[in-house]
Formats: sequence, C-alpha cells, structure tokens
Amino acid sequence: MFKAMIKKEFLLVFRDRHALLALFVMPAIFILIMSVAMRDQFTSDSIVFTLYVHDTDKSKMSKDILANIQADKKFHLIKDKHSAQFIVKIPKRYEKKPNAKVRIDVRDSIKSDQIEVFKAMLLEHILNARLESMARNIEDKSPKAAKTLSNLEISVDSIYKVRYNSSIHIPNSTQQSVPAWIVFGMFFIIIPMSTIYVNERKQNTLARLNSMNVPVLAMSISKSIPYLVINQLQVLIMLGVGMYIVPLFDTPALVINGSLLALGAVSIALSIAAVGISSLIAVSAKSSEQATTIGGILNILLGAIGGVMVPKFIMPPVMQKLAEISPMSWGLDGFLDIFLKSANFSMVLNNVLMLISFGIICLMLSILILRIKINKGL
Amino acid sequence: MIKIKNLSKSYGEKKALDNLSLEIQEGSIFGLLGVNGAGKTTLLSILNGIITQDSGTIEFFGLDAKKDIKKVKSLSSIIPQHLAFYEELSVKENLDFFAKVQNAKQEHYDKAIEVNSLEKILSQKASTLSGGQKRRLNIAIGLLNNPKVIYFDEPTVGIDPKSRNEILDSIKEYKNFGITVVYTSHYMNEIEKICDEVAIISQGKLIEQDRVENLITNRSSESISIEVIYSDNLESLGLNVINETTIQTKESELFATLELCKKHNISIKQINYGSTNLEKYFLKITGDCDV
Repeated sequence: MFKAMIKKEFLLVFRDRHALLALFVMPAIFILIMSVAMRDQFTSDSIVFTLYVHDTDKSKMSKDILANIQADKKFHLIKDKHSAQFIVKIPKRYEKKPNAKVRIDVRDSIKSDQIEVFKAMLLEHILNARLESMARNIEDKSPKAAKTLSNLEISVDSIYKVRYNSSIHIPNSTQQSVPAWIVFGMFFIIIPMSTIYVNERKQNTLARLNSMNVPVLAMSISKSIPYLVINQLQVLIMLGVGMYIVPLFDTPALVINGSLLALGAVSIALSIAAVGISSLIAVSAKSSEQATTIGGILNILLGAIGGVMVPKFIMPPVMQKLAEISPMSWGLDGFLDIFLKSANFSMVLNNVLMLISFGIICLMLSILILRIKINKGL
Repeated sequence: MIKIKNLSKSYGEKKALDNLSLEIQEGSIFGLLGVNGAGKTTLLSILNGIITQDSGTIEFFGLDAKKDIKKVKSLSSIIPQHLAFYEELSVKENLDFFAKVQNAKQEHYDKAIEVNSLEKILSQKASTLSGGQKRRLNIAIGLLNNPKVIYFDEPTVGIDPKSRNEILDSIKEYKNFGITVVYTSHYMNEIEKICDEVAIISQGKLIEQDRVENLITNRSSESISIEVIYSDNLESLGLNVINETTIQTKESELFATLELCKKHNISIKQINYGSTNLEKYFLKITGDCDV
C-alpha cells in the first residue's frame, strides 16, 4: 500500500510542469544570477576598474604612471573615454609641480567605498612613479640614495599588516547564493504539495482512500517521502550549479570544505522542516489558491528574515537576532558553516535538531488537522 | 442484511439524519430517494464509515458497523457523486493505485475493467476521458475490492443518455454477482428502472419504505393529479398544490376540484388518474418539487 501511494505521489509531482519549474529551474536561475550579479559586492578580488587616462603632462613620470596602470590587472585602461568608469587627468607639468593634483572624474554610479579603493590603488602607482622621478633627479648627486628610492615599492600591503579574526568568515557571492537559494527552493515544495492536497480533498480522493481503510498517518507520510527525495535532488542540482555552472561566468566556484555527513544532515533536516510546514499549510488551506498565496508569502517572509535575500552579515544586529526565528536561517547557517568553516557533523548538530523538531511538530499538527477534517467528512 | 436503527447525525444546528431506521435486504438494489439536503449522502457516508453517526446503530451483515468499522469498510465500497480519482494519471495508473492500496485480487481488477468496458482506454489520461468514461472509471475503482455492498451516490449526474443506460445496465449486473446495491439518484425513472426497493427520506427522516412496484401501483392509485396552466391563486383556493402547475386530489373530490377551477378560470391541461410513476408518488408524499 505504502509503495503504491509513494509511486502515485511521484507521478503526480513529476507531471506538474509548473511545480518542476518552481522547484528546480527557479532556484538554479537565482543561484546563477545572484552569484554573478553580487560577485563584486562580496569580494574585491575580482574588481576591475575601467578607466581612461588623459595625460597632458607627457613626461617620463606620467608615462610611468600609465605603464604602472597598464600592468595592474585590476585596472582596465581604455581609449574611449565615454565607456570609462573613471577619467583620470594628469595635469601639465605634473612631474615638475609636486603640488599639482590629478583630477578624477567619476562617470558611473559607483559606491563611495569603491571610489576610495580606486583612489588608494591609483595612489600606489602615482607614488611609485613619483619615487622613480625623484630617484632620477638625484641620481647624479647621490646615486646611493637614488638607488634606495628606486627600489622602494609602495603598496597598501607593504605598509599594513592586517590580521583577521578567525571566527569571522565572509562568504563570496557563490558561497552565499548557493545555500540561500537552495534553502528557498526547498521550501517551495509548498506549491505542488498544497495543490495536490487540496485537489485530493476537492476530488474526494482522500475521502475515498479513507473509505478504503487507508490510515491518515499513511496518507501524510506517503506524501512526505517523495518531497524529501525531491528536496535532496534539488540540493544536488543546486550544488552542481554552484560548482560547475557558476564558474563559467567568471565567478568563484562553490567549494565544499566541510564534511559531507554534515552536509547531508543539514540537507535532510531542512527537508523535514520544509515538508512539515508545507503539509501544515496544505491541510489547513481551503483552496489551492489560498495555500499557494499563504505559502508564497510565508516563504518570502522567512527568506527575507532568514538571510536568503539579504545576507545576515550585512544586517544590523537587531535584524541578525530576528533572523534566528526563521527555520531558513537555521538551515542557511548550517550550510555556511560547512562551506566556510569546514564544519563537521557535531558543529551543525544544533541546527539539525532545531530543524527536525520544527518539521516534526508541523507534521504532527498537519496529521491532526487532516484527521479532524476527514472525520468531519472534509 | 443492513439494519439501520434510530440513526441521527447533526452538523451544528442542522439535523442531517433524524432518528432514521430502515432495512436493506441482501442482494437487492435499494433506492434512496430524497430532495437535496434530505440526508442521502450523509447516510451513505455513515454506512461506508467515512463519517460517524451521533447516535443510533447499524448492523452490517451481523457486524456492528461502528465497532467493526475496518471490516465493514473492506466489505463495502462507495461510488461518490463527484469523480474521486486522479485526473493526471491514466486509467490504468488510477486502477493500479486504488487496487494496490486495497490489496485487490487480479480477478477483481480484471472484472472491474471488463464490467465497465475500460479495456480500450486503459492508457488514456483520466482528464481526457468523456463524462461517461469518467463515470465508468469512478465506478470501476469501487469494484476493485469485490465489495459485498456498493453505495452509489448519484452516479449518472451530468452524463449523456447512452452512457447513463450503460451504467444502469452494469449496475443491474452487480445483482447477478450477489452484490447489494444502495443507489441514490435525482432521476426517479432510474430508481424505478433498476431498484427492487426504495426508501423515501425527507429532512433526515424516513417517510416511506417499500418495494418500488408497491409504491407506484397500490398506494398511489387513488390519487389524481391535475396539470393546469399557471395561476397564482391556486394555493389561496385551498387546493392541494404540488407545484406551481400541478394539483393533487382524491377521486371523491375530483368534481368539486374541477368546479372550483372552472369558477376561477383556471385552465386544465391534463388529468392523470393514479400516479403512473414514482416521481408523481414522490411529489405527492413529500410535497416538494426540488428533486
């Protein structure tokens, strides 16, 4: 009996094209888009500034500046000033007048912190060219001092030694997007689950099954198992997208540093939570429209609070605290611990237990409600 | 035999069944007749264990239907009014599924397909079937567990006359298999055509139970129905108005009634001596035309 019910559920879900789109295609596209779009917001490693340099000085020093910029992979020097993010003008007689200022025109809407990064990087090249120029000027009088000056290589890293707190791990865009949209996509099972549940109630198939001595518990559990499997498929596909498809778009690939056991545990626990809340909404709703509306809104709210749409580490402390009420956040934290902190099973156990408890409570409530509804003749 | 004693069921303030008692003979085709909301579906749902009664008892072939609910369910089957199968699955997938959840035997599976002529449409998706084919699939699912009793809840609603006749013929066949059939329908000619016995219920109470032929011949022979052109003063004249164009009277009062009609310019279309069919008898005793 159980096998037949599970098979039926699989057939119904896999014939629902809209459900498949929502469950597999939507999160995959989100992962791709968000990883690529947010790439520069999460890391400065891949930032490339496009600039046009208007050299009115034409001195040896200004040519050195240009050469330094050209050699730097973080700068993309172009000849069309209209396409540039920044236009840098080196004034006339710049080498001769140390107080003269280089003018920077910011052409695009670029965040102020990025402008500061640009200025710091450009400063390195200007200072190094200035040192070279000074070395040339004193070469005849003091060759030793000139050599010392010429050997000086000024860079931000040569001046500062930065030590990072080992407990802080900032994800890159892929590390943030993949788990976030996996979690979101897993909770989207509410759509097909509620549609099938409500249709079965409407079409009296649940009442018919009840008249055939099929226990309510068997109805609920047989509905849950296919979605647990679907959720695991979603996780595998989305991880695949993060590992193999996202890098094709010049974006960092997802790297799984933590234990696979921990990954599997978080994934199954999340699925139990998603199935639980989906069942609860599906049996409580009067129509599939009501279920999909409530489910959709709840999903978005839990996602927004739980750090799916906006990463938790950029939220203010109050919001970070609020995020802890969302089961999506428990799952997301589990995944991030695995991807960023190389977490093992014991490190994610707390999140796993919370998710499983939440899922089982919801599932038990849904069974109770379904039993009451069936006894009342639905 | 199914013995129903003092059965009551309420939904909030509304009494769906009110101290209802009746008996259904084994191997018969038993008709349940009543207007919408009379309690027919509630009675079928209780008989099949889908819902439970507030009070009263049901003895199902010697079993207490409340205590032995699982056994009762396994021996009976309900063909719901609404099509209760999966539209997205094929006919075969539906039959396979419902057969497996009941551990149906292969011979009963084959019989359900054969009796309902589903052989040629097994691979067809249920949503693409015609109205009649859907009804037949709905019925076939109910036969899979080889039930001792089948409850039909208005199985011919919304289908064409040809399919309706096919379904009625197949139901008559179940009697030959020794199956007891409890049949509700809006169409009284169907009950007249296939049922051996009929119970008329109104507002959850049993009004009458007898063999169909007894109801439509013996008991109704003295009544006369007069069809008239619509007139809004029929009730004010103290006539026994069945519906807005039908008056019921007795043989002894026929001439007085005709005189009264003539006096008030009520044109008469037709006079029927005795109730010639179940519908007229039903209208007479329930005084309701919302069937």
